[in-house]
Amino acid sequence: MVTQNGIKLAVHLITNHFGNLVAKVCENLLRKGTLTLEHLIRFTELTREQVKNSLLVLIQHNCVQAYSLEVEGGSTYGAKANTQYLAIFDNILHRLRFPKFLATVSENFDNECVELFEGLLRDGRLTITQMVARASQRENPVAEDVVRDSLLKLVTARYVERCPVPEPVISKLDKDETTAKKRAAKSAKINEITETLEQSVLAAAVPMEVIRFSVTTNTGSCVNRDISSNSSPIIGVGEKRKLDAYGLDKEPSAEEKELVLWRANFEEFIRGLRHKACTENVRKRLDDDAAMVLKAILEETRSAEEKVKMESSVPLSLNTIFEAVIKIEVGRTMTFDRVQALLVQLGCPQRSSDASFSIGLNNIIELARNDEVESIVKNRYGQEAYRMFRLLSKSGCLLETDKIANDTFVEKKDTPKILYKLWKDDYLHMEKLAFLGFKQPDFLLWKVNKLELWKHILDEMCHAALNLSIRLAYEKEKDNEVLNIPKEKRVGPVVERFKRIRKVWLLLESALMKLDDALMLFHDF
Amino acid sequence: MIGGFAEIGMRRLQGPSSLKRKQPDSGSPSDSLTDAERILYNLIRGKQDMGIWSRDMKRETNLPDQIVNKSLKSLLAKQLIKEVVNIQKKGSKHYMATEFEPSKEITGGEWYADGSLDVAFISILKDQCLKYISKKVATADEILDWMKKSRMFSVDLTTKQIEQILRALVLDNDIMEIKSTGYGDFSSVKEGRVCYKCTKKDSRRGEPNAGAMASIPCGVCPRISHCTPDGIISPTTCVYYTKWLDF
Ligand code: SF4
Repeated sequence: MVTQNGIKLAVHLITNHFGNLVAKVCENLLRKGTLTLEHLIRFTELTREQVKNSLLVLIQHNCVQAYSLEVEGGSTYGAKANTQYLAIFDNILHRLRFPKFLATVSENFDNECVELFEGLLRDGRLTITQMVARASQRENPVAEDVVRDSLLKLVTARYVERCPVPEPVISKLDKDETTAKKRAAKSAKINEITETLEQSVLAAAVPMEVIRFSVTTNTGSCVNRDISSNSSPIIGVGEKRKLDAYGLDKEPSAEEKELVLWRANFEEFIRGLRHKACTENVRKRLDDDAAMVLKAILEETRSAEEKVKMESSVPLSLNTIFEAVIKIEVGRTMTFDRVQALLVQLGCPQRSSDASFSIGLNNIIELARNDEVESIVKNRYGQEAYRMFRLLSKSGCLLETDKIANDTFVEKKDTPKILYKLWKDDYLHMEKLAFLGFKQPDFLLWKVNKLELWKHILDEMCHAALNLSIRLAYEKEKDNEVLNIPKEKRVGPVVERFKRIRKVWLLLESALMKLDDALMLFHDF
Repeated sequence: MIGGFAEIGMRRLQGPSSLKRKQPDSGSPSDSLTDAERILYNLIRGKQDMGIWSRDMKRETNLPDQIVNKSLKSLLAKQLIKEVVNIQKKGSKHYMATEFEPSKEITGGEWYADGSLDVAFISILKDQCLKYISKKVATADEILDWMKKSRMFSVDLTTKQIEQILRALVLDNDIMEIKSTGYGDFSSVKEGRVCYKCTKKDSRRGEPNAGAMASIPCGVCPRISHCTPDGIISPTTCVYYTKWLDF
């Protein structure tokens, strides 16, 4: 679901962080789908060197993934020319939320881990050797084993992972599928195609679980908690290829180990933020106790979730849930019955206590999205529009103008005007029922089409985030001279201006962070 | 305060529903009608509770304007027909035989008085319902009973009307419709019955928190689709932002 304003926002972020050249390359990839180096040179009209370097920067920062298409007959001839580059929209947008990722790490780990993680965010990808070198150059240098220890902690928590395969090979089958689709579809569909392609490329590039989170340190300690479950002799072709790519069929040498690149595992942070959004929403809607039960469940099942967008929580028995709840300090006052009652409140059907319970997370996300959309409608179009919108949104079907007027107590002659405004701005879907041969006016039917609407809202949010960010940059530039006045000379009106600048920045920055929460709600959750 | 409600209620009582159904007596004025008057009267009466628009009358009878106008005046004077407000075509003359009550299509239904939505009445009803529910979880019947006992309104309200009001309050997100569990807050309502409960609000301001978009200028901006970074409308020149950042 990449929208036009989404692309603009992504390009804006890349321009801010890496400058115009890199942004130009990135924009071409985002707008045109995947491209080869030759294509990129042609489209951007930059030199080969410039494009190459831009791609390297983008890859280093996990914003682009390279892959190649399997050549017929398995020959590797011309493989280089075949390399395709794919921009990873999600990862670009994640740059907006680095402060949130960092906050998660500093909440749960010591300062050394925070330092190491900050370095990974700043530099994109690092080997252990690089991390150690950096740590030794710091103001208060730390020893190598401290760095290794920190990395081990972060990898165990899955906040850091091995980088994906640099250039996975996508089989001919996948390619045929996509080109056929490409031909059939008009350019409007290009996003969807890119999406499926993006999924298969990323899936092919990600290392097997056992490798992805394994650190072999000098002391020989090894984190590979999934090794037993993954060591089954049946390994799929794709997995075999990954093994080959890592050279794991043979024992890696110490040097090879040192060459492994590490990066932040965005997925795990987004999972955590999604869980948090769900519990906070439950807290708002129900109460603290219900939120605590949900939190306990999500923490318990965190490592069992196969993907970020889980429809519902991993099923657990009442006993396990109860145990998880009383592990939390405030949960100790809970009784078995109370937990069971809260589960019902959370939408689990009432069942015998030996059944397993699973909570609909998508429902919670949907309710949170509804809140956000409704609050826009209320503030932009007024209370009457809000009532109409909620009526349509709740009913989920087509309703006729008069029926809407009656149910919402809005003057009949005003109703079509309000509905029309909402329709014009893409908040409603409208259908006309014409009566041929009658002098009667057309019947108008209205409906909320949630999926379409969410896409539209996401686009508006990207637009708003772009605007916020542009305005923030503008305010910063405008105030630059004041900021450059040395502290001792800040007197009288300058002090006042200084205070104002601080307030403006704070407001804009916090608004952007809050808006980013909403962006994640509509895009990543 | 109660007097105020009663007054509004009274006004409603004297609304369309209080018009007596007059049957033309024997030896009624209809005997002494001119031909034109008779034609028009029959046409109007034939339209029953829908009545008819004066322009349509002219078209259907082919009578000259002058005659139609004169005859209508005379029929009105004889109280054979009446003028009614049609909410679909306000300001246009709409006539109906005296013995009919205007249909819902013409009046707009029970919530309309004199052709407009009775906003004051609806808002008082809403306030009263909300007041009751803010104290305890309640069903529509319970609220109706309370209103009847306290003689708040002089009109006869029906459960259906109260339910309509409650549904509108649900749409306003002031209350929630839920099935009683029979426990706790719901102990006064039989398990499984539909009842209403106040929505949880941000306790400090009594207002639900505005969403992320709604609390920034662009989120509520009517011009967002015309706004571009380098356009005439742009975030750097935006007046909404300037106002927002004006400390
Ligand atoms: S920047 Fe200003 S004009 Fe542009 S969308 Fe936002 S509020 Fe509207």
